[in-house]
Amino acid sequence: MKGYIGIDVGSVSTNIIFIDDGGAVTDAIYLRTQGQPIAMVQKGLKELSGKLPAGSKIRGVGTTGSGRNLAGIIVGADAVKNEITAHAVATSQVVPGVQTILEIGGQDSKIIILRHGVVTDFAMNTVCAAGTGSFLDQQAARLNIAIDQFGEIALQSESSVRIAGRCAVFAESDMIHKQQMGCGLPDILAGLCQALVRNYLNNVGKGKEILAPVVFQGGVAANVGMIRAFEQALGLPVKVPPYYNVMGAVGAALLAREAVAKRGYSFFKGFGISNMKYKTGSFECSGCSNLCEVVQITEDGEIIARWGDRCGKWSNAVREDKIS
Amino acid sequence: MKIGIPRSLLYYYYYPLWRVFFEELGAEVVLSSHSAKGILAEGLKNAVDEVCLPVKMFYGHVLDLAGKADMIFLPRIVSVEKREYICPKILGLPDMIRCLKNLPPLIEVDINLYKNNKDFYCAIKNIGNIFTKNHLDIWRACLKALQVQKKYFKLMEMGLMPSEALALIEGRVEDKFLPDGEKFNIVLLGHPYNIYDPYISMDIIYRLRAMGAVVATAEHVSEKIVRSCAARLPKRLFWTLGNRMIGAALHYLEQPGISGMIHVAAFGCGPDSMTGGIIERYAHGSGLPFLNLTLDEHTGEAGVMTRLEAFLDMVRWRKAAFGS
Repeated sequence: MKGYIGIDVGSVSTNIIFIDDGGAVTDAIYLRTQGQPIAMVQKGLKELSGKLPAGSKIRGVGTTGSGRNLAGIIVGADAVKNEITAHAVATSQVVPGVQTILEIGGQDSKIIILRHGVVTDFAMNTVCAAGTGSFLDQQAARLNIAIDQFGEIALQSESSVRIAGRCAVFAESDMIHKQQMGCGLPDILAGLCQALVRNYLNNVGKGKEILAPVVFQGGVAANVGMIRAFEQALGLPVKVPPYYNVMGAVGAALLAREAVAKRGYSFFKGFGISNMKYKTGSFECSGCSNLCEVVQITEDGEIIARWGDRCGKWSNAVREDKIS
Repeated sequence: MKIGIPRSLLYYYYYPLWRVFFEELGAEVVLSSHSAKGILAEGLKNAVDEVCLPVKMFYGHVLDLAGKADMIFLPRIVSVEKREYICPKILGLPDMIRCLKNLPPLIEVDINLYKNNKDFYCAIKNIGNIFTKNHLDIWRACLKALQVQKKYFKLMEMGLMPSEALALIEGRVEDKFLPDGEKFNIVLLGHPYNIYDPYISMDIIYRLRAMGAVVATAEHVSEKIVRSCAARLPKRLFWTLGNRMIGAALHYLEQPGISGMIHVAAFGCGPDSMTGGIIERYAHGSGLPFLNLTLDEHTGEAGVMTRLEAFLDMVRWRKAAFGS
């Protein structure tokens, strides 16, 4: 099989997918990042190489997500793109004609508005991470329920309770208050879903024209309680695509396909990188009063990248070494 | 005598005026260091809570001047325009700073043109009296300073950024390498002390230019145009800086060849939340791509970079699909 790899390294999950030449997803791997982006990329690639039939050829690889630069250096990416573009590219391919994309991930939530297949507007959550996946995770853990049952339980609610969704800290104290008053778990969970949707639409979706078809993706789209809360709030059907939790990675792979078609060859370093030793470290540069935190990545003892310096003194040094 | 000027807040507007005035009166002018991690850290440690990022930074700049200057110039700038105000936090600066310990004496004068210009000349006389009792010398210094200030504003109207205009006036050359390539016009609006402070804004101007944008700001628009455009609002704003942003935004929205508009706000800034909202509505009404960026103390640049990259992708994508 021939095709492209897409990698999305997010705050909570690291997703690796494989698409064939036609753009169809054949394999998808969803791992928890657990604060170790490099190890997870290596683990995911190893798993993927085991799944692919013998003789498969990787034509290119793309990365996205907040860890896209790190992952890009390690695998030798052909396309390193921000999450918004990646999600928009993937969803346009999977759901042609999509006009609104709601995406809620681990620490980010975004809305993307498309018209005639082109992104015309987008927004991301600002300084607040209330209403994202990690908050739901936390609350599920506090209530001692598995996160994958969260939505099912919420659906059993007959009358949801009102929970303040403005801030994760307030939401939690409100939930505890309701729970101590004796409200049922399904009602509290349904109320929480509605609070998060309200918060999302007021903050991220503020002033945006939400038109059908509406696609909901990102890890939180697994939660049927959230899907229902969105449908109720919007009064529109909400579609969840088959690979909803790895759409960023699908977009990265599609972008890699485009980049490789233009360039004619790929930078992919091969599956061998799963067995290399990577080390990251940071130091504070004392060259000026900026005191930049410079991050350095080594592959089997050799420095392959540095970043974080504002002046470019350290990052450029690596590039020059490589050229000479 | 060494007069210290914090390289922060209204420094970006009035530094040439202040410097020439003091130098003409025989004083030496010392600037605080460029904004950096260390300066912000000092500011955070000493500032009252609930002030915005640029005011916290200002604290750091003032503290940086301790030991470097004999006196610190800290005017209370209440109003620079008839029937308009500067932000309340800026006019409260002397009161906030006075509480800091181990500072050299402060030169505090009120500058309040809310009613008329008389107060300005009063302030000039009061400051001048610190150095000389000769009124003629004070007026000569003032006239020379106003001339240089006029030149500075003129250079900015011609499309230079404050640091470039200053470099030209001081006979220095400031040059950063920028790649050639496809160019498009992006309007960047925000308080001058946010967008022109490379540390606070994460060097947004340089980053945009490096990504192929030609950056236009509110300071590139003449006072006359700003005034006439801002007058179109149903009710006049109280804030001089807010009026400038809105006037410039309305002006740019009518110019052909503008591909996008970015508004930079400091988290917690009252006026910004209002002016940003107004600008966003006008931009949406005209169909121009618009991005609102909120800055705070994060040192992680990933959030800003993701939004900028995605925004420019959208601008390019739209341009390719719909033409300019």
